[in-house]
Amino acid sequence: MKSKIGIIISREYLQRVRKKSFIITTIATPILLLVLMCLPALLMNVNMTSVKEVGVIDPTGKIAEKLVDSPIANFTRLDINPDSLSNEAGFDAFLILPANVIERPVGISLYSRDASTMLLESYITQSLDDIIEQERLEAMDMGNLKSVLKEIEVNSSLHTFKLNDSNEVVNSSSTISYIIGIIMSAVLYFFLLMYGQMVMTSIVEEKSNRVLELIVTSVKPMQIMMGKIIGVGCVAVTQLAVWAFIIIGASMTLLPMIISPEIAGEVTAMGNGTLDFSQASMDIEGLQALSIAGDTGYLIGIFGWLLLFLVGGFLLYAAIYAAIGSAVENVQDGSQLQAFILIPLIIGFFASTTVAANPESGLAFWLSVIPFTAPMVMMTRIPFDIPVGEIILSLAILYASFIVMVWLAGKIYRVGIFMYGKKPTIKDLIRWARY
Amino acid sequence: MDNILEVYHVSKHFSSKTALDDVSLNVPRGSVYGLLGPNGAGKTTLIRIINYITAPDSGKIIFDGHELTADDVASIGYLPEERGLYKKMKVGEQAIFFARLKGMTKRDAEQSLHQWFEKFEISDWWNKKVEELSKGMAQKVQFIVTVLHRPKLLIFDEPFSGFDPINANLLKNEIMELHKQGSTVIFSTHNMASVDALCDEITLINDSRNILSGNVAEIRRREWGNRYSIQFSGDAGEVMRRSAPLTDRFDLLPAETDGLHTAVIVPAAGGAIRPVIQEINSCSDILSIQPVMPTMEDIFISTVNTYNAKHNINVEQ
Repeated sequence: MKSKIGIIISREYLQRVRKKSFIITTIATPILLLVLMCLPALLMNVNMTSVKEVGVIDPTGKIAEKLVDSPIANFTRLDINPDSLSNEAGFDAFLILPANVIERPVGISLYSRDASTMLLESYITQSLDDIIEQERLEAMDMGNLKSVLKEIEVNSSLHTFKLNDSNEVVNSSSTISYIIGIIMSAVLYFFLLMYGQMVMTSIVEEKSNRVLELIVTSVKPMQIMMGKIIGVGCVAVTQLAVWAFIIIGASMTLLPMIISPEIAGEVTAMGNGTLDFSQASMDIEGLQALSIAGDTGYLIGIFGWLLLFLVGGFLLYAAIYAAIGSAVENVQDGSQLQAFILIPLIIGFFASTTVAANPESGLAFWLSVIPFTAPMVMMTRIPFDIPVGEIILSLAILYASFIVMVWLAGKIYRVGIFMYGKKPTIKDLIRWARY
Repeated sequence: MDNILEVYHVSKHFSSKTALDDVSLNVPRGSVYGLLGPNGAGKTTLIRIINYITAPDSGKIIFDGHELTADDVASIGYLPEERGLYKKMKVGEQAIFFARLKGMTKRDAEQSLHQWFEKFEISDWWNKKVEELSKGMAQKVQFIVTVLHRPKLLIFDEPFSGFDPINANLLKNEIMELHKQGSTVIFSTHNMASVDALCDEITLINDSRNILSGNVAEIRRREWGNRYSIQFSGDAGEVMRRSAPLTDRFDLLPAETDGLHTAVIVPAAGGAIRPVIQEINSCSDILSIQPVMPTMEDIFISTVNTYNAKHNINVEQ
């Protein structure tokens, strides 16, 4: 009999994994994500190749030479009448400043041969703002004002450390943890919802097109249900594992290739606690993000927990979805009944933002021991290095409640699959569980 | 007699209704057995118990000499009344899936499936998806899946509903072929006419109980009621008058052709048919005489009606 469950599992699994849509989403999603992350940097590179030659007509004579050449634009001062601009060759654009631009910075015009770019416009306005500000300061002639301002300029940055149980210092950043926590929670939310519904839909279809009547002659209802849940669960695990593999692989191979050795050195220095942040070429958040993205051990750890909570949460929710699927005859009826699954799922997901803001609060603790919200809430908290004991407690409760839920669902399923012609209520489901 | 299946005092209750009430029956090995009864009588519940899908509340099932276990489903082939296939799955792959659930190895299943597919001339369906097949085509596949593992006991629930006459006949022949090869066959149906000529033994289930069980020939003889149909030519009035003292019933059917009459007669209580024949023969020419055997359908209807009247059951529908 044991091998029969294996036959059911392998059918459920292979039918789904072999689908083109599954293969595409599984491989394309993480690649798309990585591309999106790298896109700004890549685009920057593309833009650098097209430096705009800008001719500047500056009656004040104070501004043009202070415009700094950059990968966006090269500035050349032109001493000509604006009316004869059309004779000047070799320029992409002309910037024309009014004579009183320092006193009244309006009426500045940019003539461009191609469509002007936002990047160029913002670079020019930014530069002009700075230059004019400087000019005005100097015009006030307040002696050392410039150095005073330099002196009082504030650009604080907070580097947070966390003391772990043995009082060692651990790098930690709430912002990065927050982002990772919310992403994990969202991933779980979508996985539980998507794959849970997949179990329900598949049971409803099997029941409504009466294949079930044939299967049930050789396999016990409980085994059919478990086979289905496990089969679909394996699909979910496969998808997550492929994602983890691609992301961790990218972190090990791609990341060292993309970031410059200078930044890599800074990341290492930060890890050792020897980095002087005032000299760093990136802000702390950026360095910490890179540090985490490059920390393979950390990534494996996060995916490991994610996998454990995915499996536990999936089994719990899939059991409920299975019970509902067995009771109804079409997916629409099922959608109505699933409201009471969605509520805890949504609470768990949306509580994540609150929990991420204060991961060690009482609310966070209680939501992580309630099995229905535990997967999402706990995955939000794990990046904050909460005590492992709490994680294990949460997992233990989750897995224990999945066993109870499967047992209950099995009882409902056994009755439900032979019930036709009547739309059941939640009351009916409870009654069937008592048979 | 050697029975492949024995059902002893099986009862099954659902929350508000009784599906089976102390049902016992024996299915002789090698027989074609009819499990008859109106819709909702409890036939499907009984079949589900035999297939180990649901457990009875009380009673026991003996299959092939031992108490029924879960492993026995490998020796039973069951074609449910309501059946379907996975629409998106390929025919061959799907057939192998079902065969493996019945305990066959993949290789055996494949080999034996190819034989059946050739026999039914449907080999080119192997790689088609089920949704591309017509309903009748899908039913052929289901039939193959049901019998593929060469079960000792075959159970067909309303097997011929949904088949066109040609395919129904093909199916009937295949079933009888399997029967000839040694399988015991149970037909479960409310449509007695469809299996009348096939069954050796029957059980009639009504209102969750076994109300009539036994050999078809015996039951028909018992339910026969001593009726004869006699065909003669001559003066019908004279024949009727002269045989009246010897018969309990003399129903003259409307004449078909000139001078040729048919009558259904029942000899007087305890009386034999011979004196009646002699009397009729003395005043007319007898062309034929034969007992009027009731069809199983007649017996089915009259037994159920009698039972329902006795137990004050109002049949809905």
